Amino acid sequence: MKTIGFKYTLSGIATTLLLIFSVAVVVAGSKGVTETYKQATAPFEDTTQVGDVQPLPADAVLVNSRYQGGRFWTRTRKEKIQRFKCSQCHNNKEVLVPQAAEMAHGDIVLVHGGKQKPLNCFTCHKKDERDFLVIEKDTRVDMDHSYQLCGQCHFRQKSDWVGGAHGKRISHWAGKRVITNCTACHDPHSPRFEKRWPKTYSRPLTK
Amino acid sequence: MGFWKKNCLEQKENSPSQGKCGGRRDFLKSAARAAALGSATLVSGCGTDALGSKEELGLQWQEYFKKHYRLMTPEEKDETVRRLERLAKLQTEADIQVGAYGPVKDVLYGYAFNITRCEGYMECVSACVKENNLDRDSNTQYIRIFEMEHGQMSPDSGEGKYFHPVPVDGRFYMGVQCFQCQNPPCVKACPTKATWQEPDGIVVVDYDWCIGCRYCMAACPYWGRRFNWNKPRVPRDEMTKKQHYLGNRMRVKGTMEKCTFCIQRTRKGRLPACAEACPTGARVFGNLLDPDSEIRFVLKNKKVFRWKEDLGTDPKFWYFID
Repeated sequence: MKTIGFKYTLSGIATTLLLIFSVAVVVAGSKGVTETYKQATAPFEDTTQVGDVQPLPADAVLVNSRYQGGRFWTRTRKEKIQRFKCSQCHNNKEVLVPQAAEMAHGDIVLVHGGKQKPLNCFTCHKKDERDFLVIEKDTRVDMDHSYQLCGQCHFRQKSDWVGGAHGKRISHWAGKRVITNCTACHDPHSPRFEKRWPKTYSRPLTK
Repeated sequence: MGFWKKNCLEQKENSPSQGKCGGRRDFLKSAARAAALGSATLVSGCGTDALGSKEELGLQWQEYFKKHYRLMTPEEKDETVRRLERLAKLQTEADIQVGAYGPVKDVLYGYAFNITRCEGYMECVSACVKENNLDRDSNTQYIRIFEMEHGQMSPDSGEGKYFHPVPVDGRFYMGVQCFQCQNPPCVKACPTKATWQEPDGIVVVDYDWCIGCRYCMAACPYWGRRFNWNKPRVPRDEMTKKQHYLGNRMRVKGTMEKCTFCIQRTRKGRLPACAEACPTGARVFGNLLDPDSEIRFVLKNKKVFRWKEDLGTDPKFWYFID
């Protein structure tokens, strides 16, 4: 009986020591970044914590979708189109214009949609209401909300854009979320980025 | 010696009881005064000359004996910031604004780089050089962009000096900079504690405590640090005037410097210069502790990897694929 009691005590002490040691290791060992951010679940109040957050720009327009943090904004498009409103000319009346070829969008080259399924003007523009774009079932879309149209085909890019993996925020990481719209970077008539010369060069890593 | 003599005469006028010129007390007094103005005045014996004015020398003297950034009280930080601004005005006639503002609470900065999106235009590199007042003579750059073949995994073998219009089919572009490791080997290597990690995760350098031993440069497995072999030269009209004590303020010869995620911008809520300049949106920056941030969306929904993750440096810079 006596030896068994002694053995129990010994194993008890050993277990306690092991427990204390493992707790110490867990406490002392610093958390990695992955654990740190995964544990952070409280929303960040950037308006109160960051000193000067950006006020909403004058040309911001509320997006019709929601991202993980609620509503967000993008930038307007209409006021940046030189000859908007389109209905100034496209109104079924005779118009007398000098340099008609130029004025009638002769400069636009459509490189969008691939060879098998080329797009035409009225794939995106509404034929009877030229101030608007068109999505399926004749639904008109404001030009400021062109992401709704682009997202029909480029749905993966759209969900990335809403979440934050495509496109970019404007100037601030904190404050109200204002992101660029599709047409800020992509020419809708020829959306692929053009080839151009790099601005500078980089040295090899080891130097 | 004119300075001493003049001093002596003044003393005589002020205190007639002091008879002899050049006594021990006078000597000590004038020596102390000369020391306060910097030894240069002793040699030249003149207040304003090529070596700088009395004010400038006094400021330099105070700058030389200031504390380590982390030991300074807020008042001392303010004082050194004022001194740096005044010195810049006196030396280069530049009107700069230096800040020493601290980290934002509950913020840990993270960065993600989209290797599918980057087209290798290198707009980020030149924006970084301009924002951080990097030396134009030696062409110092914090960011490097490499053109890589598909299947190539490490930027060690990438081509940085590509000389043709980009993007090229079948190639991808990978940017490398300081990854602001959560477990930074450079900090451990520093013998003077001149480099450390701030609470918001940015690894910074106190340029005035760096002795230029370059141990950190050798310790960094990502080649993320730069050394100033010469006094950095930035044209005055190209200088970024809004500076931070730990960020883009002017460095001196023989000190280390590194990417700070543009500490002068990001602590005010702005994006780093590289992320703002990127024409393709390949650079995502944000707060890792904010579950709604873009960076968290990328980490949650995209295929991400970190370079040399096996080293255990725990970088806060992820690469991702669309």
